[in-house]
Amino acid sequence: MKKLRKNVLRVAFVLCALFVLLLAYGAYTVSVNGNRWFSSTLNEFAREKRQNVIPGRILDRSGVVLAASDAEGKRVYPEDSALRRATVHAVGSSAFNMKSSAEYFYAAYLYGSRLSFPERLGYAIRGEKYRGDDVRLTIDSALSVYIAGLFPEGKRGAAVVLDYRTGQVLSKLSFPNFDPEDTAAAPAGSSINRATQSLKAPGSTFKIITAAAAMENMADYQNRTFICGGQLQAGSRVITDAGTDLAAGKITQHGALTLQQAFSKSCNNIFAQIALELGDQALRKTAESFGFNDNFLFRDLVVENSSYPVSNRTEGEIAWTGAGQSALAVSPLHMCLAAAAVANDGVMMEPWMILEASTASGGTRAAFSSRVYRRPLTKEQASVLKEYMRTVVTSGTGTAAAISGVKVCGKTGSAEIDGQEETNAWFVGFLDEPDAPYALAVVVEDAGGGGSVSAPIARQIFSWLIRNHP
Amino acid sequence: MSKNASARRRDPARGMMAASMLFFFVGFLLLAVKDGQWQCFLLSLIVPLIIYAGTAILPRLFPADKLLLSLTNFLCALGVLILYRISPSRGLNQAVNYGVGVGCMVLCTLLVRYVKSWKTLTVLMMGGSMLLLSLPLLIGTEQNGAKNWIWIGSYSLQPSEIVKLALLLCVSYLLSQRKAALSILFGGACLVLLMLQKDLGTALLYYGLCLVMLYAATGSLALVGAGLAGGAGAAAAGYHMFAHVKARLAVWQDPWKYTQGIGLQIVRSFVAIANGGLWGVGLGLGNAGNSTRAGGIPEAHNDFIFPVILHEFGLIFGVIVLLMYLFIVIRAVMIARRSNTAFHALLSVGGAALITIQTFVIIAGNIKLIPLTGVTLPFISYGGTSMVSSLCVIGFLQGVASRNQAGVDEDRALAMQGGDVP
Repeated sequence: MKKLRKNVLRVAFVLCALFVLLLAYGAYTVSVNGNRWFSSTLNEFAREKRQNVIPGRILDRSGVVLAASDAEGKRVYPEDSALRRATVHAVGSSAFNMKSSAEYFYAAYLYGSRLSFPERLGYAIRGEKYRGDDVRLTIDSALSVYIAGLFPEGKRGAAVVLDYRTGQVLSKLSFPNFDPEDTAAAPAGSSINRATQSLKAPGSTFKIITAAAAMENMADYQNRTFICGGQLQAGSRVITDAGTDLAAGKITQHGALTLQQAFSKSCNNIFAQIALELGDQALRKTAESFGFNDNFLFRDLVVENSSYPVSNRTEGEIAWTGAGQSALAVSPLHMCLAAAAVANDGVMMEPWMILEASTASGGTRAAFSSRVYRRPLTKEQASVLKEYMRTVVTSGTGTAAAISGVKVCGKTGSAEIDGQEETNAWFVGFLDEPDAPYALAVVVEDAGGGGSVSAPIARQIFSWLIRNHP
Repeated sequence: MSKNASARRRDPARGMMAASMLFFFVGFLLLAVKDGQWQCFLLSLIVPLIIYAGTAILPRLFPADKLLLSLTNFLCALGVLILYRISPSRGLNQAVNYGVGVGCMVLCTLLVRYVKSWKTLTVLMMGGSMLLLSLPLLIGTEQNGAKNWIWIGSYSLQPSEIVKLALLLCVSYLLSQRKAALSILFGGACLVLLMLQKDLGTALLYYGLCLVMLYAATGSLALVGAGLAGGAGAAAAGYHMFAHVKARLAVWQDPWKYTQGIGLQIVRSFVAIANGGLWGVGLGLGNAGNSTRAGGIPEAHNDFIFPVILHEFGLIFGVIVLLMYLFIVIRAVMIARRSNTAFHALLSVGGAALITIQTFVIIAGNIKLIPLTGVTLPFISYGGTSMVSSLCVIGFLQGVASRNQAGVDEDRALAMQGGDVP
């Protein structure tokens, strides 16, 4: 009997542990996913409730009104159509379910779900409709309007600017955009936010991650010399560099390069060699430390998950992955985060887009703060990579982004996409300036090389940031 | 402590009973005013009365654990309330189930209290169990991928719910007689029959129960390890054998991919929980339980009753409900530790395990901690068999508790002389 009693006690611990597990997981999943569940398109309950709510206003970081409501609760947007268009993907539109927009993801505040019981009672007694909370975003509307003016007319693409110290998203633009006052005229596909929802091959910008993998796994990477022989046969595929035209007999050949030189010249051949030498496992591990294959459950921003393929890995696939091609899929915002992590001494901050929610009477409902998402690099690795990204701009493929007297760092990319005439032009980079801690990603689809198309746009954005955020 | 002093102390069970009577009186009254149906006015009186009968009158007939009674009665009444709110006809049925269940609980209490020899009964129950579990295979109907129901006239019956009780009693008895091999054989046979019915949720329940009791009786980690290995093997086999297991696992990994079909239930449940928030949307004001309303959870009265409670009453209330289950389990364990015979100890700890595992499996399934398997939430889910079997388990616990009390009385004389009181 004595032994039995002891066993019973042990069993009791296990049973209690099950309850604790249930409570702990419940608390975890509700706090992480609650807002995603609430803002789902399947939330019929919230949709019904909206009939009785005047939605709160959406403001930019300095208080510029990006969306307000009239007395009936209908959305009213600013007079300036350039401002409306430049911020539409951050603000959202009731005509579309734009997953990563404020209108969608902060609906719990905007549509009055966070009202307290006394507040509800007050509205009910006065016989008024509920008034939702105002939401102030991290978005800088002036910057957004400026970027929208720079972007090549008629091209698809995206631009993201964030503060790498805090993870605040200053701009999140997608092109083509549309006017929320005239949603009927919205071009097809314009409600997709290409900055966060559209996953594409990152091209050579991925070499930031391949280089990080080399630093992690090759002890002597700084002293090694790699040879680019022009063509590299990997399995059934051939790795070539930009400028190579086999039909015309033209082959780009870089010769002997250090890792830093290969990075600044963006040599596919050498990065393919590195990928093969490291092996798929090691490269994937580094990519995953940067957030690939993770389920992005950011508290205050919806970003489509990036993927580093785990199956069908042939030698040719692995080689091309080192150079950012193959089946890699990533959003511009995520590549911007990768650059931001390099800039921020290896610490990747969680991106966020809401500064605060305030009640109709001006009180604070909720305030938000920055959080670390991951630490993919050590401080030393980050400073070496920063140096690499600096030489890209001073003497490599990204010289078009250079500003005299300002430390601009970056990486270009020209991603080949099946069925497109031109490559997708990428530039990700950052200002290595303590007063202007900004990272950006610019992608112009089907437009040409990253160094010639996107780097100049990046330069103008950086100049604006230096001028306007001293 | 003298008897007078202990009587003067405030009795927590009594306070809880009064609070829950008031809670359900107001709850049903609110629903009655909202919908204007006379049955509901009636329920606002009848349900508190059943609570009173179940909590205050029963302990006068025989020594019983009042705290256990008041917790159980609260959960049962909560089931009636939330089911009435989802569908008045189901709520009324459930009120009847509740009444019948209380009756069965009393019978089970008396059974454990007065039956002295379990040998013949155990043999009978083992034979009966095999027969009952074979029935659905012969004359059963398939529902949600599992063939575990039989229909008698217009009444449906889930034999596995009744056999669950027999399993608990038989395994307790066999293990108390140190017949571990026979109990494993019996449990294994039940599991095989359940697997054939494709009733994997209940199989999981039986499996967990047998494992826990085996450990409690033998204390052998080797046996538990072997059991776990066997379970893993059976799970792998089940995955390959049954298409609906594969589908459930896929939904578990990402229900949002299947919102047009089998994932809808769990996704709607998430949305309902999110809408409820900490305080809930209010009784009768939600949409989650009503499958005819936009956004309602399909089949909410069965597997998804807990999310409906979270939706209308909020997360804080949900935590309180979970804590009530936990207290019931702790109480059961205390009864087990105080019991004087191995049979009684095993029966109580088995009852505790049964309630825990069942609660865990369904709620963890609701919040996607584990893949969803269709077991009922004890005391709350809709269904006569489920309600009766859950209350019978409480009946067993009460029976053991009353025997413990009797034991204490007999031992008191011994204790006076300095003997060891268990």
